[in-house]
Amino acid sequence: MTMVRRVLTLTSGRIAVTVLAVIALLAVLGPLLAPQDPLATSDNTLAAVSGSHWLGTDHLGRDTFSRLLDGSRVSVLGSLEVALTALVVGVVPGILSVYLGRTFEWITLRLADTLVALPFLLFAVAVIALLGNGITQAMLVTGALVSPLFYRVARAATLAVARSPYVEAAIIAGASVGWIVRRHVWVKVLPPIAVALAQTIGVGFIIVSSLTFLGIGVQPPAPTWGGLLASDLGYLSYQPWAPLAPALLIMVTVWAANLLADAIRDVSGEAGRAFVNQRRARADRPDTTGSGPEPATTGGA
Amino acid sequence: MAPLSELSELSEDAAPGAGPSAAGTAGAAGAAERSAPAATAAPVLAVRDVRISDRVTDREIVHGVSFDLTPGRTVGIVGESGSGKTLTCRATLGILPPHFEVSAGSIEIGGTDIATLTPQRWTELRGATISAVFQDPSSYLNPSIRVGAQIAEVVRVKKGLKRRQSRGRAMELLRAVQLRDPELVYSQYTHELSGGMLQRVLIAAAIAADPQILIADEATTALDVTVQAEILDLLAELREHAGLALVVVSHDLAVVAQLCDEVLVMREGEVVEQGTTGEVLHHPRHPYTKLLIAEHESYGLEKFLTPRETS
Amino acid sequence: MTTTAEQAPPARRRAVAATRVRHTLGRLLATLARSVVIFVPVFLLATFVTFALRSMSGLSPARIQLGEEATPEAIARVEAQWGLDRPFLAQYWDWFTGVLHGQLGTSWTNGADISTLIGLGLGVSLSVATLALVIGVVLGFALGTVAALKRTTWIDRSVTGFVTLISVMPAFVVGIVLVAVLAVGLGVFPSAGYVPVEQGLGPWLAHITLPALALSFDVVADVARQLRGSLVAAYRENYVTGAVVRGLSPRRIFLGHVLRNGIGPALATLGLKFPALVGASVVTEWIFGLQGFGRFANDSAQAGDVPAVQGVLVVSIVLVVLFNLIVNLVLARVTPASQRGV
Repeated sequence: MTMVRRVLTLTSGRIAVTVLAVIALLAVLGPLLAPQDPLATSDNTLAAVSGSHWLGTDHLGRDTFSRLLDGSRVSVLGSLEVALTALVVGVVPGILSVYLGRTFEWITLRLADTLVALPFLLFAVAVIALLGNGITQAMLVTGALVSPLFYRVARAATLAVARSPYVEAAIIAGASVGWIVRRHVWVKVLPPIAVALAQTIGVGFIIVSSLTFLGIGVQPPAPTWGGLLASDLGYLSYQPWAPLAPALLIMVTVWAANLLADAIRDVSGEAGRAFVNQRRARADRPDTTGSGPEPATTGGA
Repeated sequence: MAPLSELSELSEDAAPGAGPSAAGTAGAAGAAERSAPAATAAPVLAVRDVRISDRVTDREIVHGVSFDLTPGRTVGIVGESGSGKTLTCRATLGILPPHFEVSAGSIEIGGTDIATLTPQRWTELRGATISAVFQDPSSYLNPSIRVGAQIAEVVRVKKGLKRRQSRGRAMELLRAVQLRDPELVYSQYTHELSGGMLQRVLIAAAIAADPQILIADEATTALDVTVQAEILDLLAELREHAGLALVVVSHDLAVVAQLCDEVLVMREGEVVEQGTTGEVLHHPRHPYTKLLIAEHESYGLEKFLTPRETS
Repeated sequence: MTTTAEQAPPARRRAVAATRVRHTLGRLLATLARSVVIFVPVFLLATFVTFALRSMSGLSPARIQLGEEATPEAIARVEAQWGLDRPFLAQYWDWFTGVLHGQLGTSWTNGADISTLIGLGLGVSLSVATLALVIGVVLGFALGTVAALKRTTWIDRSVTGFVTLISVMPAFVVGIVLVAVLAVGLGVFPSAGYVPVEQGLGPWLAHITLPALALSFDVVADVARQLRGSLVAAYRENYVTGAVVRGLSPRRIFLGHVLRNGIGPALATLGLKFPALVGASVVTEWIFGLQGFGRFANDSAQAGDVPAVQGVLVVSIVLVVLFNLIVNLVLARVTPASQRGV
């Protein structure tokens, strides 16, 4: 795909892709690389950094480095699941909202407004706790909660395309909606969605870490980056440096995801333009309700 | 278009009375009158062989412009877009775009070389001594502030008037630029006003601090022909009553011909022709000027009007 | 256009003034109406989903009160007590009318009034959130403004770098670092707990500063980025050139013209940031041992206390809606109709 190649021409794009690739590799191989059993306790509690314990041990004497590696899978795959769920839940109605008529448009717009207005960490905590404390539920719920971003991006890009002269020409020429979506809409929708996907991976990563930090989504002994931080919190007076490694990993991952989003935006130049077009398109149709927080949402986060 | 009547004098076959617009005849008469007295007063604006360069590419864009401007008189600069006329104006106002600079020559405003001005002195000078209006007037006014308040702001800051007085003065200015309902216009936003009204408001804001020089950079370009004539009349009137010195920049020879005593024709950064309006229009030496005039003749309405009126 | 109008009579001037007042009022009312149109469906939908949570979860007060070995009869009896045997929509209607009257029901775990319980925690959370907003706005505006005024210089680049750095720090990471360094390491601030403002401004501030700081990073980053962008864009506008040519000072141009137009998007960002702020309180209150709203939400959710969770969600939605309403009204005041929708 040409977009990938163009992203890789940018230094920032190369750095972002490299960092994310390393993190992804960690997620796949991490549990295998762990030098010790991440669940095995020992009497050597709260040990300092040493040759046998690269990052010391926690309050139960478990090897922190092994727990960090073992926990990477849940943390990384979790954010991917969130992003993909959001993608599916958001993009499809986003594109369809332009074509399926007023009622569908109104309903989906209100749904998106609602989801955006919800304090989603609070909702995620509530819903996940009530619906059963499983990682899959957690990811699905979180994905649904952040899906408005995709909905709006897809809708904006589709609207921009739908109002463009060449699509009108295609309609006049008798092309079907399906053909127009495949031929014209998809090409324009893809770059902003790629941007949103990268952003959502970053956001999803923060949410997953926050949830696992609270002990939501995973059962206690299983290690996660967020969980590691939570257990470090109780022993800060003994090991004030302990949160450093998981915190850095989380921050670097989020940073790389944001960097990737910026790089894609830079090479495609589509994301920004689509929103402007959307605003114009909406202004042209005064009968469309609610111009509230919509355009700003897409630009943010 | 009004000044075509003047141009039509050049062509021998022009029928008498071929410029029915009142504005046109007034302008022509004014120009004829004003071309007589020589510039004896000290110039308020003296531009001496100004050259403007792009600092980054080290390319000279404007290759030497000179003119003097005395109170009550008007200099016109004509040329196509990219000819350097706007850059010359911006240099005079001290607002050249980033990495452009006056690389040679000098500009004196009221006897002060602008190269010696500090940013503070520039701020004092602008508005109070030299001011400007531009094409697309709506964009030069703040869309979030009522237009009257923007005029009053200038009065308050530059003239040191109190809030109430400045409001009254702004209202007077709106009346002076012949807006029909100053009270209403005062409290409106730019998006509520038409292009012609906005240009009047912009002129009112520009003259609010009683400057001696007003630069009109394509000030009538985007306006309807009738509105354009009205604005040109307004500028002429302000010049007459307030003793303003005008610099009128346009790509349209007709606009310049209507108002100006002296005309500079610019092309690709070069002044290809300079002289009194009458001279330049009647005896153009440079082929480009001849072309401009010929264009007006061949596309002017007279061509179509003349046969019918004579027949 | 040739008529030079004489001084307008007082009556005429009053009429114009009245029209202007009506314009402003109309603008505010229109904003309010539009906000209501957006938020009423949001509120209905959110409360409905919230209420439906119980049916979806399959949780019951009987399990909490009677334990796992309860007989089906006992369960049915307890559920009937709570009115859970009635049709779903009837239950929803009862609950919804209660919500409209400020009654959020009673807790399954201890039978206490949920409105009261939430009220107790809200003071803590709102103190923290307000301080976080203040820090976020002040720092964000300062950084965004400095970056915009010194655009493309090293100051701009370092501000942008700093903003990027703090934008990738989740609230709980910041919280832990703050506790580790300022509370445990240096002992400058208390690491946990809360003191109401009645017991002294100093102690109150000392207890809420760290959690507020942890929450504010996100706000600082977003406000600074947004403000820098819109200020830089505003400086490119012609009206700035216009103001320069009229002889206004750079200071006046910034305060009176550029800031006025550039501030809208940053304010809108605040409206969008508020839900995240409320949500993140779950994490920060956990770290700093605050018995606030977020902590209550977390504890109730983990305990399966459905009415309490529903109450928390409803209150959070109301908070978000109110805050957005305020932001929209301010936006309507700052920007004229032509610019709305930015």
